Amino acid sequence: MQFTSETPTDLTSAAHYAMEQLRHNPIMVFRGEMGAGKTTFIKTLCQQMGITEEVSSPTFSLVNEYRLPDGMPVFHFDFYRIQNESEALDMGIYEYFDSGICLIEWGEKIEGILAKEKHTSVRICEENGKRILTFGN
Amino acid sequence: MNRTDIIILGIESSCDDTSASVIRNGEVLSNVVAGQEIHRLYGGVVPELASRAHESNIVPVVETALRNANVAKSELSAIAFTKGPGLPGSLMVGVSFAKAMSMALQIPLVEVHHMQAHVLAHFAQVPNNPKPLPEFPFLCLTVSGGHTQLVWVTSPMKMEIVGETLDDAAGEAFDKIAKILGLPYPGGPELDKLAREGNPAFIRFPHPRIDKLDFSFSGLKTSVLYHLRDKEKEEPGYTQKNLKDICASVQHTITDILIDKLNLAVKKFKPRDIALAGGVSANSELRKKFGELAQKRGLHAHIPAFEFCTDNAAMIAIAGMFKFQEGIFSDLSAAADPRYQDSQFVTHKP
Repeated sequence: MQFTSETPTDLTSAAHYAMEQLRHNPIMVFRGEMGAGKTTFIKTLCQQMGITEEVSSPTFSLVNEYRLPDGMPVFHFDFYRIQNESEALDMGIYEYFDSGICLIEWGEKIEGILAKEKHTSVRICEENGKRILTFGN
Repeated sequence: MNRTDIIILGIESSCDDTSASVIRNGEVLSNVVAGQEIHRLYGGVVPELASRAHESNIVPVVETALRNANVAKSELSAIAFTKGPGLPGSLMVGVSFAKAMSMALQIPLVEVHHMQAHVLAHFAQVPNNPKPLPEFPFLCLTVSGGHTQLVWVTSPMKMEIVGETLDDAAGEAFDKIAKILGLPYPGGPELDKLAREGNPAFIRFPHPRIDKLDFSFSGLKTSVLYHLRDKEKEEPGYTQKNLKDICASVQHTITDILIDKLNLAVKKFKPRDIALAGGVSANSELRKKFGELAQKRGLHAHIPAFEFCTDNAAMIAIAGMFKFQEGIFSDLSAAADPRYQDSQFVTHKP
């Protein structure tokens, strides 16, 4: 499934599709270059899910935690600054996988872990000023 | 030691660095940060080493802090620790240690909010070198790798976040743009160095149009990325050739965005004092513009020494001292809280 948006904010229909996927599979992994719009899309997705807290980049903190209106935790990861997968294991990633919805930026950094976890994959790229989101398994 | 002395041991382990500090009546007797040495050896911030290192660092760091302060454990009035926000595993090391030590010494335990402590770092005094303290109420701009906040501080305990970043933190913008430019991560300080010799008017990057007192830096990151991509197509080698000017233009834009909002907040809150906190306050351009703003508006400007700007335990001890004076203690059921929210530190955007 593919979505193209003219402006960074025009992502609502893709967010609704992502919500539907999360109902079946709570792990969603975002891949794309720096500046492709991963955090921007996750902001829209979180808003559509009813999260009222500020959704910002977890690059420094590695993981931000939000709550859905029903109390379900949403973990927003960013593995940009880790150097190898053991760091993700170190922070207890498997515990997070079992504890709520996991939205993962820079999944490229933990491909070995993700290969063994069922997840929805989202590739984000930019072409001629348009953002293209491709959902896959 | 005077019987009325308040001596606090502060412990900070929220993210990458393990730190311990001893303060007496607001004077910092020691402030030890472990981690930097390890990080320097391995190049940059290495969370794996850091998060595991908390456990092996905590005992030597605390012992060194006590020894450097020339204070015996029996003299401590209380132990203050970072409850959150931060990484669960990292926080837990500091919390468990602080609880065990307070139980063993039979002294009070004080939990501290990490971001509140950054603001209160301004009250850290160095022995024999007193500096003017900010007067309440004041405005504090906290800028670091993980945070960008405008805080209206009405008392040591009561603060409101009146503006914050909607996406990337200012320090993160510096580091990521430095990475785009091929500088090593975290490249903020390197970018600052190169920018000093460049022309800040070389490229005019757009400022985000964000309502009220909030910030945004992710658009700038994208603008830099596209600008370099387009220019490299026309003229291969463009980035390297103009590196200093590009750095200066980026730094000019980031610091302008920060200072513009601070200025807007000054107009709104009309403080007499403004303060800068967090690791990015080391940035030379930001310090310069901060000073100029204060001068233009006739305000007192406060920038803590750099060791109190980055994550450190002295600020935790200072925040702990204020709570200690108010008699606000925790019991042994205290726990790390990665999303810690203090009822006295709230978001209230005008």
